[in-house]
Amino acid sequence: MFNLKYKDDLYKIILSVFVLSVISVFLIAVTVILFYSYPAIIRYGFPFLWVKEWNPPKEVFGALTFLAGTFMVTFLALLFAIPFSFGIGIFLQEYCPLFLRGIFTVIIEMLAGIPSVVFGVWGVLTIVPWLRESVEPFFDRHFSSIPFLKVEENIGYGILAASIVVAFMILPIISSITKDSLASVPKIAKDGALAMGATKLDVIKDVSLPYALNGIYGGIILGFGRAVGETIAVVLLIGNQAIVPKSLFSVGYTISAVLANTFTFAVISPIYASAEVELALILLAVSLIINIVGRNILNKVIGGRFNRSQFGGG
Amino acid sequence: MAEQNEIKVEVKNLNFYYGNYHLLKNINLYFKRNSVCTLLGPSGCGKSTFLRTLNRMNDYTEGAKLTGEVLIDGKNIYDKSVDVVELRRNIGMVFQSPNPFPKSIFDNIAFGLKIHGIKNREFIVERVEKCLKYAGLYDEVKDKLHKSAFSLSGGQQQRLCIARAIATNPSILLMDEPTAYLDPASASIILDLITTFKKYYTIIIVSHNIQQAGRISDYSGFFLDGELIEFDEAGNFFTRPKDKRTENFITSRY
Ligand SMILES: Nc1ncnc2c1ncn2[C@@H]1O[C@H](COP(=O)(O)OP(=O)(O)OP(=O)(O)O)[C@@H](O)[C@H]1O
Ligand SMILES: [Mg+2]
Repeated sequence: MFNLKYKDDLYKIILSVFVLSVISVFLIAVTVILFYSYPAIIRYGFPFLWVKEWNPPKEVFGALTFLAGTFMVTFLALLFAIPFSFGIGIFLQEYCPLFLRGIFTVIIEMLAGIPSVVFGVWGVLTIVPWLRESVEPFFDRHFSSIPFLKVEENIGYGILAASIVVAFMILPIISSITKDSLASVPKIAKDGALAMGATKLDVIKDVSLPYALNGIYGGIILGFGRAVGETIAVVLLIGNQAIVPKSLFSVGYTISAVLANTFTFAVISPIYASAEVELALILLAVSLIINIVGRNILNKVIGGRFNRSQFGGG
Repeated sequence: MAEQNEIKVEVKNLNFYYGNYHLLKNINLYFKRNSVCTLLGPSGCGKSTFLRTLNRMNDYTEGAKLTGEVLIDGKNIYDKSVDVVELRRNIGMVFQSPNPFPKSIFDNIAFGLKIHGIKNREFIVERVEKCLKYAGLYDEVKDKLHKSAFSLSGGQQQRLCIARAIATNPSILLMDEPTAYLDPASASIILDLITTFKKYYTIIIVSHNIQQAGRISDYSGFFLDGELIEFDEAGNFFTRPKDKRTENFITSRY
């Protein structure tokens, strides 16, 4: 028979083994990625980050086109998602009748659980034709003199299509965190403003949002983390051409998309493979930094209430 | 008629419910102009809820229901024609723990003025300074008016909240255990403030502390399980309570 103390110790040991194995898998993954990218890091040095050409047969490798595509898609997705997410979060927490709040919250969480390939297929079937038939002709007629809004090929695929779909994918995480941060504003703080004669809008603007701001930053950063690594939906929508996109409607490529499309061939040539692993390393570093920063902010604001598993991945 | 004029707030047949829970039962009492009244009672007896009926802070509470009347200067504040924003401008409220806004010291006090549409910068600056002086905080904060209110100590924050509550020049001050979380020295400062403030305001305070209440009250009321058991001038209330339950409470048997 175990006595209680002994049982506790046993649990502790078993749990430690699990924790340690997770940590070691992570460390091994990082080591492998560092190991395989090492030849490319040595051979191409820092210019890897700003060379435009990506030419496997000539063994010329520069990541600029992918970096540009990745950051454009991420930035635009955030730009589209943030205002809507704020609206949704504020509505759910402050204006939505209680019985509807539950239903809407479940719907938004379900949106977070949809696999990204489904988002991608949906984008191909709806967003791409919409861009091709309505949006691009409109911009071509009215804004063709503005370089950033120039329509080069009227095909619907490209940076904008990918950004719109990724925006939908990060909407749930940012809106639920906005909602949770608003929910964690102390009632007594809001009461203070109401007692002064503040309207509900005054309270949101002057008390709740300033209180919730750090949490909301955290949500944005996690949304960034998800957008930057988003793969399958982007592969289906961005056009997959290694050029630096000059316009919203250009086709492009992202780090994750090029890895998904070409890594199986790349392994044939050691230096090609190494260059691609270096791309993976950059992505890993960016998302790691972003996640750590975001999580720290969140933990400070809403304590342990935040749980990532809720937002799934895809 | 002169008698009538002395009454600032009159509560008539007030009943309050949280859903089906009948919390406040047929409360009748009045508060005289420029007096300090403390409301005492064991935890959970409905003191805070009662205080919040006086500035309609329960309006937003889910499931809350109220019957009866609260007359301020003879006018029922639950009347359909009453503008809640205007009403609250006339009633300052201070809470159990300091709750400054996430803003600078200056903006905390200016907030009330701004939401009531006052834009004149000079007036605001003057008013902020005056309120800080009334609350006995000015000398301590005059060099850091634009620092965050959270940088102040608890006692200072509570005085800031008092300064904030009087910024819109109300005629009534509601305080819900304003010294509950303060150290004795800070609490004492606030009690002194209350005594000087009754020149300008009708003050209604919820308190747990019988000694403090005795020190500052002109009138006192005792609540038990949502009923007003006794209400009287402080002299009688603390020395010759009529009800046995009041006596038990002030001799600390609850
Ligand atoms: N929003 C609410 N919904 C339902 N019941 C509530 C609500 N707020 C308070 N109550 C209940 O009403 C009763 C009175 O609460 P109230 O805060 O008025 O008591 P109190 O006398 O101020 O107590 P304390 O001295 O502890 O502050 C309590 O039993 C409380 O649980
Ligand atoms: Mg209370």
